[in-house]
Amino acid sequence: MTDRPALTVVTDDPTPPYEQLRRQLVDLIRYGVLTPGDRLPPLRQLAADLGLAVGTVARTYRELEAAGMVVSRRGGGTRVAAGPPPGSDPAKALRERAAAFVREARLLGADDDQIVSAVARELGR
Amino acid sequence: MAVLTIPALLFGLMACGVVVALVMRRVPRQPAAATGDIPRGVARRTAVLRWAGVTIGVIVGIIAARSGDLGMGLLMAAPLFGLCALIGVLTGELTVRPPRGPTRTAAVEVRRIRDYLPRHLSRVVAAGGGVLLVLVIATTSAGAPDDMGHPGRSLARQCTFDTFESDGPWPGLFYTGRLVAVVLVGLLMAYVAVRTIVRRPRPDGTSDLAVDDALRERAARVVTGAVGVLIAIPLAGVSLTAAGGLLGISCAPMWWTVMGWGLLALAPASLAMVGWCVAAVLAPTDRTDLLARTR
Repeated sequence: MTDRPALTVVTDDPTPPYEQLRRQLVDLIRYGVLTPGDRLPPLRQLAADLGLAVGTVARTYRELEAAGMVVSRRGGGTRVAAGPPPGSDPAKALRERAAAFVREARLLGADDDQIVSAVARELGR
Repeated sequence: MAVLTIPALLFGLMACGVVVALVMRRVPRQPAAATGDIPRGVARRTAVLRWAGVTIGVIVGIIAARSGDLGMGLLMAAPLFGLCALIGVLTGELTVRPPRGPTRTAAVEVRRIRDYLPRHLSRVVAAGGGVLLVLVIATTSAGAPDDMGHPGRSLARQCTFDTFESDGPWPGLFYTGRLVAVVLVGLLMAYVAVRTIVRRPRPDGTSDLAVDDALRERAARVVTGAVGVLIAIPLAGVSLTAAGGLLGISCAPMWWTVMGWGLLALAPASLAMVGWCVAAVLAPTDRTDLLARTR
């Protein structure tokens, strides 16, 4: 496995691929996985890796640039903008995500053991 | 007829490269038996096409070496071999198709050419290319027409007021013109191949990026080796021929003699470089095998 952060696109998800990418990149920047100055993958490379049109990835990057989260320079690629405020405390964000996951699992009718085993399976244990 | 063999081979190779590249872009994606088999399938497919390129290169090189007038075929054999090897690598890389499944994952990474090229071999090949360029410029500018009127095919020296001495063959315009053209085509193709290696998508379902990175490193190493062969063998030939010309003039100034011996010394260095590059093309030692064994 790799320690490089990953982006995942689910093509049968009703959310458009550019929006899926945008959300994931926003999270990576907000939680400090991508730090100011870090370079995002070139448009064509990311589009090829995900089997998407270049325009789809370009739209994601444009939206991130409009939000001031990344800066694009000709010849210099697209980099995380300097000084975007870290969204929140990562530990707190993790607790919030866990709470949301547990809430959704309960709605699906899962009990505690099933929730724990689902998490363990995702962690590869 | 023989004069036309080299250009015909060159154009044939270029046409093959273009046609194969276009066809491979349209070939439907081959289904893999299982997700874990995909890097192995890619490795096998790229290796088969790479070896096909090398094999065709050997055949084309032998045909070229046996044809062509006045040693021209011998000079072109190595560059043509390198071109074939490059086409094989390029074709193999173009068979890797982008993911088509409903769930697709990509790493947030910037892949750069320099991350995949073998550091030491690349520097040696670049240095060899620089030396060949300087040598070719020097020999081309010093060449004189031979007794049959071939431009730059002999080295002439005015010994006294009314006597001239000349020696040949000399690697002047007659040889270097076509050599430079073939080497430039090879360098252009090598750039296209390396760019394709870096930019091609990761195979569908790649769970371990290190395996795919190792495959790219192997392909980049073969490209570097092929470029090295493309440069080093002509470098050895040009330096030996130029040394023969410089040392063959009886009224040569001292610096010609020194230069001649220097060029003679360059030949074994070029041949050592050939050995390294051939080893990179035929038996690339990298971490691919190690990774394959551990998975």
